[in-house]
Amino acid sequence: MFGEKALELIKELKRCGDGLLPSFNEETVRQVLEEMKSLFEENHKDVTASSEGEQGLFPGVQLRHAALERNKRILLTYLNERATSIAELRWQMGTVLPPDIRSRLAEHELSWLQKYNKSLTAYMRAVGADITHNLKPPKSLLIEVRCTTEHGSIELTSGRTLHLSRGTHHFLERSECEPLIARGIVEEI
Amino acid sequence: MSQYYKNSRLNDDYLSIDSIMASQERVTSTFRTKIRNLGFLDIGSDARDLEVGVKMELPYWLAAFLCNKRRQIVEVETPKQYRAGQREILNADPVVVDLHKLGPHFYKFGSLFLSFQIPESLNISRCLLETFQGRFKHIMDISQNCLNEDLSKVKSKLDECEKVIFALGQDSLKDFQNWQTRESAKLKASKMIIQQRKRKRNELD
Amino acid sequence: MEDEEDNIFSGSDDEEAMTAGEVLQKLEEAWMNEALSPELLMNKSDIIDCMMEQINEMENNIQRVKTNDLKIYIHKMELERIRYLLTSYLRIRIKKIEKYATAIMMEDGKRDPDDAKLTDSELQFAREREKNLLELFQNLVLQHMPPNMQSLEKDKICSKPNLDEYVFFRVNQDVEGVLVEEETVDNREEVIDLKKGEQHIMRYKIIRPLAETGAVSLI
Repeated sequence: MFGEKALELIKELKRCGDGLLPSFNEETVRQVLEEMKSLFEENHKDVTASSEGEQGLFPGVQLRHAALERNKRILLTYLNERATSIAELRWQMGTVLPPDIRSRLAEHELSWLQKYNKSLTAYMRAVGADITHNLKPPKSLLIEVRCTTEHGSIELTSGRTLHLSRGTHHFLERSECEPLIARGIVEEI
Repeated sequence: MSQYYKNSRLNDDYLSIDSIMASQERVTSTFRTKIRNLGFLDIGSDARDLEVGVKMELPYWLAAFLCNKRRQIVEVETPKQYRAGQREILNADPVVVDLHKLGPHFYKFGSLFLSFQIPESLNISRCLLETFQGRFKHIMDISQNCLNEDLSKVKSKLDECEKVIFALGQDSLKDFQNWQTRESAKLKASKMIIQQRKRKRNELD
Repeated sequence: MEDEEDNIFSGSDDEEAMTAGEVLQKLEEAWMNEALSPELLMNKSDIIDCMMEQINEMENNIQRVKTNDLKIYIHKMELERIRYLLTSYLRIRIKKIEKYATAIMMEDGKRDPDDAKLTDSELQFAREREKNLLELFQNLVLQHMPPNMQSLEKDKICSKPNLDEYVFFRVNQDVEGVLVEEETVDNREEVIDLKKGEQHIMRYKIIRPLAETGAVSLI
C-alpha cells in the first residue's frame, strides 16, 4: 500500500523513544519523495487523458491524491519531531554538540539548530536572564560534587582555578556546577 | 447528538505521531466504484483494475478519504473490536479485556472511526467512553501504588492512551518517593548524556 | 523572613505601588498558573520587570556587606530562590511558545495589540521559530515534492493547546452562573456557582476567562 515506506520513518522515531535521536534517514526520505513523484506523474497522465475524453480515471486520481497527502504529512511530522528533539539538545548539552550526536543530523538540521541557538540567545539577552540554568529549586548555595572524568582545569567566576580530576570532591556554588553536572563532568553527592 | 461526531481534535493534530499511527489501523472496505489501473494494490489478485465489489483492508486514512459526505468510492465495515459482540464483552467487565490486542490504539482509532457516521456510531462512542471510565480507576490504582513490582503483565493489556496515563501515574509516584528521600532536589546529568554513556559502554562490551 | 525580605528590597518601595513581598507573591501566582494551564497565559511583563530590578538591587546590597555574615547566606539563598522562580516561569513560557508558536501568533493577531499574550521579545522568538521551521521543511522535503504539494496551510498543520484538559483550581472570589458542559455522550449542561475558597477539578476551557482575571488560581 502507498505510504508504508513513510510510516517506517515514524516507527523508527517511536522505537528510539525520547532519549536518543536516530540518524537522519536520508535514504528512506528519498524513497518517499520518489513515491510521491511517481504518484504525481501517474495522476498527471490520468488527468491529461481525462481531459481528452477518457472515462473513469477520476477515482484513481483521488486515491493517489490521498496517498500524496499522507506521505507529505508523515514527512513533515518526521522533520518536526526531529527538530523538536534537536532544539532540546541545546537545553541538555549547551551550545557544543558531541561529534557523534552531531553526525546524526542532516546538514539543514544543523543549521536549524544554529538558528535556534541564535534566537534563544537573543531572547535571553532581551530578558536579561539565562533560562537554561537554575533548572531545579535551590536547597542550598553550595553543592558537594564528585568528579567523574579527567576534565582538567576550569576557571570559576570568582577567578579561582579548579582542577577537576576523576574521583576528587569539591564544594561549588550552585550556579557554577549546574552546567558541569548537566554535561556529566561531575555528579552531585 | 453526541459531541464526538463534531469533535475533530484528533484530526487537527496534523503533526502528531500517535495520530498517524492510529490512522494507519485497517478498515475492511468494499469498492462501490471501479478504480482503473490500481488493481496491484489488492495483493494476491492479478486484475488490472480494482473492480466494484472487491473487498480490501484499507488503512483508515485512505478509507476515510474514499468514504465521506463528498464521495462514496468505498463502503466500510465496523472493525471487529467495535462490533456489538465485543461491545457486550467490554460492557460486562471492561477491566479484564486485553485492549492492546484489540488496539493498540483502541480509543484513538475508535474515535477516528466515528467520522464515518454509520448508524452504529452512537453505540460505539458510548462504548469507548464507558470502557475508558470503567478501566480508568483500576489503571490509576495500580500505577500509583506499585513501583518496584513487575507490572509488565498489567501493562501489556493496555491501549496506547492508557499506557500514557499509566506512565504519568508511575512518574508521579516516583517523584513523590524521590521527594521523600530528597533525591529530587539533586542536579542530574542530562538524559541525552546518560543515554550516550550507556550506548558507549555497550559498544565497548 | 518577611522582615529580611523588606530589608533587602529596601529602596524600591517608594517608587513602586507594590511592596516587594507583594511582587514576589504575584510572581509565585503567575508561575503556578503558567505551569499548570495548557495554553500560554497573558504575559506578566510588569511583574517580571519589577522583579528583575529588585534582583539587581539585592545583588548590589549583598555585595556591599561583609562576606562572613550569616544574614548574607540567607539573603543569597532567597535571591537564588527568586532567580529560580523567574527563570522557571520564563522557561515554561518559552517551551509553550515553541510548541504553539503559530497558533499563539494567530490568536494574538486577532487581539488588540495592547492585550497581546506575547511580550515583544517572545513575539520575536515565536516569529523566528516559525520561520526557521518552515525553512527546514522547505529545504529538506517540500522543495523536492511535486509542485501541487509544496504549499503549506499553517493553520491546518500547527499544533494547538488542548483546552479540554482537566485542571485543579482554587476559587479566589465568588463567581455566579458558570456554565459547565459535560462532554459525555448525553451532553448535559449545568450552571454552577463558585464560592471563594472552594477547590474543584474541571475542564480548563470552562474556567479559562476566570484564570486570566485571577478569579481562580490553578493548583
